[in-house]
Amino acid sequence: MSFDEIPQMLVTGLSLGLMYALIAIGLTLIFGVMRIVQYGHGEMYMLGAFFLYYWTAKWGLPYWLGVAASASVIFVLGAILQQTLFQAVHGRNILYSLAIGMGLIFIFSSGGQIIFGTTVKGIPKFATGGILVMGGFLSYERIVISIVSASLVVGLWLFLQKTRTGMAIRAVSEDPETSALQGIRTRQIHWVAFGLGSALAAIAGCLMGTLLSIVPTMGFVATIKAFMIVIMGGLGSIPGALVGGIILGMIDSVVTTVISADIAIIMSFVVIFLILVFRPSGLFGQQWT
Amino acid sequence: MKVEQGTAAAQADGKGNAAPPSLNRYAWAALFAFTLAYPAAVSFDNYLLHVGITIAFNVALAASMWLIWSLGLVSFAHAGFMAIGAYTSALLLTKLGWPMWIGMPLGAILAGAAAVAISLPLMRTRAVYFFMASWSVGEVIKRTIAYFDGLTGGWNGVFDILPPTIDLGPIQINFADRIAYYYLAVVICAIIVLCIYRINDSRTGMIHWSISENELLAEHIGINVFKHKVIGFTIACVFAAVTGALYAHYQTFISPKSFDIWKSEFALVHIIVGGLTTVGGPVVGAISLTVIDETLRATGPFRVILFGVILIATVLLLPGGLETIPGRIRRALRGRKSS
Repeated sequence: MSFDEIPQMLVTGLSLGLMYALIAIGLTLIFGVMRIVQYGHGEMYMLGAFFLYYWTAKWGLPYWLGVAASASVIFVLGAILQQTLFQAVHGRNILYSLAIGMGLIFIFSSGGQIIFGTTVKGIPKFATGGILVMGGFLSYERIVISIVSASLVVGLWLFLQKTRTGMAIRAVSEDPETSALQGIRTRQIHWVAFGLGSALAAIAGCLMGTLLSIVPTMGFVATIKAFMIVIMGGLGSIPGALVGGIILGMIDSVVTTVISADIAIIMSFVVIFLILVFRPSGLFGQQWT
Repeated sequence: MKVEQGTAAAQADGKGNAAPPSLNRYAWAALFAFTLAYPAAVSFDNYLLHVGITIAFNVALAASMWLIWSLGLVSFAHAGFMAIGAYTSALLLTKLGWPMWIGMPLGAILAGAAAVAISLPLMRTRAVYFFMASWSVGEVIKRTIAYFDGLTGGWNGVFDILPPTIDLGPIQINFADRIAYYYLAVVICAIIVLCIYRINDSRTGMIHWSISENELLAEHIGINVFKHKVIGFTIACVFAAVTGALYAHYQTFISPKSFDIWKSEFALVHIIVGGLTTVGGPVVGAISLTVIDETLRATGPFRVILFGVILIATVLLLPGGLETIPGRIRRALRGRKSS
């Protein structure tokens, strides 16, 4: 390793971390509102990426419009899934929501292999070239994607802080009964938050699919990453998901460059285990029973 | 102590199975008799014997995971502990030439020690966090095994894990024979299920259910919740390791991929589809789903889709799983009589 690689390593880590954080924020939003574990969250990420692939590569439509379309389609899908499947297990043992999420993984990833095929595909790039910063090469694509994901995180933060729906989502995560007494339609908040969380995963899928490649089985890897982040940060905590995402992105980028990819994965699991030993509810989490 | 037993018993009864115990015992006896007669019934067909052995593995895994569930915990570290048992036994054979009869107990002991060491910090976490932490434990075990490729062969795995033999002069059994291995697997699986049944039927089992019902309350009536959680978890992990060793010597080849998170996931699917309140649940679930799995093997990805549909349908339409069907039928009949 030379010093030339440091800026590149940091930017890669940051952009990876922000995209991981987008997936994890979706997951944590859903948990916060409904207290369920959406084990199939990564499948939303996979479906979002494949929607964009068909949109740009097959139908030749503009890229950024495709990202928005993908997010809206997955928002609707998430809301439908919540209404038909997850509402029924709301308030029951986590085992049941886990089971439904697992069922969704089986259906979507195998169905994806049948419909999309098992070959590796790539979403067409929206920009080429890059700049040299302190001897390291940064592609424009990666820079734009980092800026977009960062502004999405900020936008979501503002949405949750300033708007009525955002405040309602926070109120329901805080205390469902009291917010229902205050006249918040908690059931409506459930599907809104579920759709929003799924849409965030879909956007992350689009961006990640542009940087890397897409396969129908990529959803499970995203689920693993999102879960790791959420454990680190604490369930239901959005700052936790952001910090956890960036920690994981940095481990992935720095340790993979300096040592090896195997060690990076083992190390991230060990970091999670240690965090849980000393803070059993994650860095920013609360104890859920 | 009497109070404790009373409440725990009441809770256990509330969860208790619908069938009277005598009927239950006949069902178990019939099942065991059928498994013993199975090789003759399928006229020693090699493929069907293979299905039988796979069922035995799946039953043992699902039942031992169910023991952890009776403490109110969902553990995904199960495949990892299975890997510890499998690798210990396999490496002792291939590197030192020690037979499975030594390797399997040593693997079980090693897995037990690892389970105690890991569960001491792990049991500090609860509910969702426990599930995720146990998941990372399983992944770390798998990837650590893959990383030390000088010893374990890395992702390529270990080859030529010969099945054991018994040589007692006049009696010589070579377990490379499928019929012999079938009986070995069935007997060990039956012992595991019996142990779990006895544990669940005892005072310890009642304590487990009381912890799963309300941990705080259990602690307040004098149950050492932490100790029971660690011991219960360790026993289940030892059973998983025994199954793992048995699996390794049957497949004669193992790699870290054999102990993927899927192994734990499918064991959980078996429990959910079978039922959650008695050990009969995981047994029925593992048997029926493995049979479905093997009959649909030719259909490829559609088989996995069907698994997903079955799982979601069970949760939404038949909460409680297959084990509640006798009770439902009985209630339906009784309802018709009275009306």
